[in-house]
Amino acid sequence: MSVFRRRKDDSPAVEEISYPAISSLNPRVNATIRGRVVRIVKQPAQGLPTLLVRIEDESGFATAVWSGRRSIGGLDLGRKVVIEGVPMASASGLRFFNPAYTLLP
Amino acid sequence: MKIIIAGAGSVGRYMAEQLSSTGNEVTLIDSDANAVSRINVAGVTTAVGDACELDTLAKAGLADADVVAAVTGDDEDNLVISLLAKQEFAVPRVVARVNNPNNEWMFNEMWGVDVSVSTPHLLTAMVEEAVSVGSLVRIMKFEHGKAQLAEVTLAEGSPAVGRRITDLGLPRETTIVAIMRDGHVVAPQGDTPLHQGDEVVVLMTGDCEDVVQRILIGASA
Repeated sequence: MSVFRRRKDDSPAVEEISYPAISSLNPRVNATIRGRVVRIVKQPAQGLPTLLVRIEDESGFATAVWSGRRSIGGLDLGRKVVIEGVPMASASGLRFFNPAYTLLP
Repeated sequence: MKIIIAGAGSVGRYMAEQLSSTGNEVTLIDSDANAVSRINVAGVTTAVGDACELDTLAKAGLADADVVAAVTGDDEDNLVISLLAKQEFAVPRVVARVNNPNNEWMFNEMWGVDVSVSTPHLLTAMVEEAVSVGSLVRIMKFEHGKAQLAEVTLAEGSPAVGRRITDLGLPRETTIVAIMRDGHVVAPQGDTPLHQGDEVVVLMTGDCEDVVQRILIGASA
């Protein structure tokens, strides 16, 4: 079993699949969402390497948190992405911890 | 609360019994069927399997657990269990046991750990407390070190002896939460005077330690 999620290379038709609206998600239920990167927060050099990315669709936003890294190549502001994971409720909305991600063109 | 405990050693079994007796819904996981069967308290659900495997965790009911405690005797296992609990099940509170204090630095949010408990560290704090009058003893850290609970036994000559709490000029990020005096707990009020021999328990955030030292212990400490 792999502890870290991997990109799913066998899902070529991500653009055509319909995804649930972010505002309709429930905490602690596995979900796959599509949205646009609207904010990237990096931690100071002396802190734990963590990358926070806010992803927004027409209905709302969620935050993806990746630990152990400060950036993901290609994951820039404005980029369309699909992420999959189990969201948790937090003070600033739903939060995905180390979700699987797919960068969309 | 629904609590999942991974590791049915003496620590895990004791926790399961205690938490179950206070009305919590407890599930105990271990790969050793013998260890699991040694607990015979009504109300504790047991699950046999490797807690580092997603299947085992899913069957034990992590999907709707409130707390997961990873208390095996193996730090690697505890970290894997913590990470899976946070990443795959979004468990709100993950508590992990640190066996080897050299590993403590890894038990943080990067691995999904909300609270880490290190027995050697606690023992050191207790010993420090026993041997130290007039120095600051760090008892516990919260929020990954952003806040801490510390204790000072006021020695003769401490600048705080004989003064009231409001007159001490403690920083705003600091609060005296309790005073232990002659075996009693004194709830601190602003006008409570401090005596020599008082054990003062202080909760502080940020970098107040130096200021608190100066106020409660004196400049030379």
